[in-house]
Amino acid sequence: MASTSIETTTTTAAERRGIPGAQFVEDVQTYLSQLGLDVNSALSFLQERLQQYKLVEMKLLAQQRDLQAKIPDIEKCLDVVGTLQAKKGTGEALIADFEVSEGIYSRAHLEDADSVCLWLGANVMLEYSCEEATSLLQNNLDNARASLEVLIADLQFLRDQVTITQVTIARVYNWDVHQRRIRQATAAKDS
Amino acid sequence: MQQEQGGKSDTEVTWEDQQNINKFGRLNNRIHELLDEIKTAKETNDNLEDASNELILTDEEVIRFQVGEVFVHVPNDEVENRIEEMKEATSKNLEKLEEEKGTILAQMAELKKILYGKFKDSINLEED
Repeated sequence: MASTSIETTTTTAAERRGIPGAQFVEDVQTYLSQLGLDVNSALSFLQERLQQYKLVEMKLLAQQRDLQAKIPDIEKCLDVVGTLQAKKGTGEALIADFEVSEGIYSRAHLEDADSVCLWLGANVMLEYSCEEATSLLQNNLDNARASLEVLIADLQFLRDQVTITQVTIARVYNWDVHQRRIRQATAAKDS
Repeated sequence: MQQEQGGKSDTEVTWEDQQNINKFGRLNNRIHELLDEIKTAKETNDNLEDASNELILTDEEVIRFQVGEVFVHVPNDEVENRIEEMKEATSKNLEKLEEEKGTILAQMAELKKILYGKFKDSINLEED
């Protein structure tokens, strides 16, 4: 993959939805002089960046877990509405066992189901016709799936930035070790 | 988690190398998620298998079939059809997941070759 950097020494990454991009370093020496920091300050700056990335990652992972739990719920609701609609045509009552309390179930006879009530959250429940309920639930499901996709893309971008930062830390550290060794070698030669 | 370890080498990391490392990281994450998904899909498959076996053995006319949070009374034949449909859907899903797993493992092997080739001991791409 060809690099599309405009500058010769570093490649700047775009930021994405508030997540700052990690700067890719072509040459450690130039990077350090560009930043105007010595090795230890540069390392602590990079470590700090890494921690910030980790925080954002936790937040995004939590959001992803929520969405992944919500989607099967919506699918189950769609299932139920679908079953009710199917039974509507036949004219016979739908018999269902439902949970009244933990371990205690009761039987329900559901006659012609023209409408269903949907829980919208915030102590609000609205009555819809079966068709409206189906389209609302389907809409919610599509939105949830789309948000999940965006979230996953964000996470991938974030992980890439984390990897770049980790690699940069390793390279700065190695460069420092290398410099020390050279200095030691020259000092030994002179003495 | 894979990390790049410091070595005595002076090999410079180019943008292309960085992108390869990033891609390897992404694939590795995806593989872990996939392994979990495959495990869940296999469990669902087994459960459906058990369910349809029980169905053959039972002599009840009406089965309580779980739809959402309630158990709907459904005649035996319809339950059989539903379970067959669900089994087909899960096995298709499982097939797709296994296929994705194969592709990703191949890509990871390819990247390992490239990265080890350039960095040799300076990079560690194994699971700990």
